[in-house]
Amino acid sequence: MKDIKYSEILRLNKEFTFDESVRLIEIRVLSNVSVQQSKEIFEFTLRSESVPAKVYYGDYDNIIQDSLKYQTSNVVIIFWEICNISDGFEYSSYLLDKDYINKLIERIKQNIDLVFQNLKATSLVLFNRFSALLFSYPTIQSNNLKLIADQLNQYLEEKATSTIKLIDIDKVIAQAGVERSLNLRFYFSSKALYSIDFFKTYAQFVKPYILAANGKAKKALIFDCDNTLWGGIVGEDGIDGIEMSVKTKNGKIFNQVQSIALALNQKGILLGLCSKNNVKDVDEVLNNHPDILIKNEYITIKKVNWNDKITNLREIASELNIGLDSIVFVDDSSFEVNLVKERLPEIKIIQVPEKLYEYPISLLKHFDLFYNLSYSREDKQKTEIYKQQSLREVEKKSFANIDDYLVSLELCLTVFKNDLSLTARLSQMTQKTNQFNLTTKRYTETEISNFISHPDYVVFGISVKDKFGDNGVTGLCILNLDKDTYSVTFDVFLMSCRIIGRKIEYAFMDHLVSYLKENNVKTASASYIPTKKNGQVSDFYANCFFNEISSIDESKNYVLNITEYKPHNLDYIKIEYGEIN
Amino acid sequence: MEKSTKERILNVMAITFETSLEKLNENSSVDNIENWDSLKHMNLVIALEEEFEISIPDDEVGNIISYKLIELVVNECSTK
Repeated sequence: MKDIKYSEILRLNKEFTFDESVRLIEIRVLSNVSVQQSKEIFEFTLRSESVPAKVYYGDYDNIIQDSLKYQTSNVVIIFWEICNISDGFEYSSYLLDKDYINKLIERIKQNIDLVFQNLKATSLVLFNRFSALLFSYPTIQSNNLKLIADQLNQYLEEKATSTIKLIDIDKVIAQAGVERSLNLRFYFSSKALYSIDFFKTYAQFVKPYILAANGKAKKALIFDCDNTLWGGIVGEDGIDGIEMSVKTKNGKIFNQVQSIALALNQKGILLGLCSKNNVKDVDEVLNNHPDILIKNEYITIKKVNWNDKITNLREIASELNIGLDSIVFVDDSSFEVNLVKERLPEIKIIQVPEKLYEYPISLLKHFDLFYNLSYSREDKQKTEIYKQQSLREVEKKSFANIDDYLVSLELCLTVFKNDLSLTARLSQMTQKTNQFNLTTKRYTETEISNFISHPDYVVFGISVKDKFGDNGVTGLCILNLDKDTYSVTFDVFLMSCRIIGRKIEYAFMDHLVSYLKENNVKTASASYIPTKKNGQVSDFYANCFFNEISSIDESKNYVLNITEYKPHNLDYIKIEYGEIN
Repeated sequence: MEKSTKERILNVMAITFETSLEKLNENSSVDNIENWDSLKHMNLVIALEEEFEISIPDDEVGNIISYKLIELVVNECSTK
């Protein structure tokens, strides 16, 4: 990105075209300086990651009014520059007295309140922290600009809600270089404060937030073993010959890499191995090596064999039930790296750098790709849950037919109706679920809690447990009731991929329809909106006795006459009602 | 074959003003290129500086409003 010329970006960005059916992600940039040159850079950065972004700008120096006007944008980015609070403030601020400064700070705080209020329902707001760096870096002394920025940042910290992400713009400036970030020539002529280099760095820096909001966060980190997870080759050097101890020069590097991986695991990222090795050797290391941090218990999936890595990585994706594009793979061999790059381009690959001391930081540079917008309790359990799933897969193979297997699971479905305490998890599911998701509507926590308290909406969450353990809250349905016509619309129906393949969706639907019957609802309408990933549910409503009434492109609209519904009556799934917490 | 200065300038203009190369010639200027606004003008300056690895003096930034003036300034900056 850094190496691509601006004119090249302008040209390449024109080459992205979108079908009319694609829902563009509207990004609105509000600012009190001129930042229009970021448009093509933002668009190009995101479109390169398959996010159909379209960037628009607010009016110059109209942040407060625009925050009201554009609150429905998918993403709002705010550049609020202290140096341009009034014309020439970067230097006139030196001459201000304390009283004036305090009043000014109070006034800006009120404005911040207004902006936050206006944007409280916006899915994602990227709000740059206030910064004085561009006009204070050459001096050892502090100045009023810095004082104001510090106080306002403290205020932002107190007031920002979970959908407002504060961007540490000083880190961006540090990465791009202070003098390369600042565009003095255009700042003085056109109020365009930032350089192209700055915007390139900024776009890369904030990209993970926008990817996460569009369900594109990475979910699994898969390592090769020899010279990747540890130094040396276990098959040749033996368990005592491989290095991952802080006490040795190279060992320390692998120890650091394992620390980073483990930190990701604690945030709910799945760890796995894909290595050409003897499984006995690797297990010996994982179980008994005194310096190993990534012990067996943290590893969800292992493909340690002599098959090619393409096959193994495909199996990893299918067994974890995640897309190839959710995987990051680390390997030291140029051969393997190039092979995977060529054959499985969806997978993000990190090659162990030749300068080994750069290895930990090169991993850290990819840390944000795993970023989730809301970490909830579920994430901590995730490794455990997926691990149980791998056990289930193994057991699945030994049953004669799938129904026998399902019966043996002792499945139990718990239904939660309008439970506010689940808001964070329900919102997170709308953000992250791609495969079993009929409409792929993304909702913020605020939107979910509004549905829950609205009389015309009913929000059902389900959690699923079986003899292996509790999968947690893994399904969601939002119904929109029309009491006058005794009808209902399925706004959202989704299930986490962790529980797909157990006919739980049909038990859930049975339950929903019986709820609708009890409430005298006569008809239900629903639609399937296709995406690249939800092909597997294209016939879900048809399988539930809904009649297709129209279709545009691949989208289908359905109506169900409630009396025509035939319950699936899956007696191997027990249904319970959850206590409202 | 190396592209001539003229080709390179027209190429930069085509990209920044989002127009096709065929529509541009030696007489192209702010008067006959519809897309040439102040924002695109900044893009033009940045793209020219990148293409020719030059730095256009502040005083000239406002002057380069036609192909001929661009060529003049680019040549001046390149020989410095």
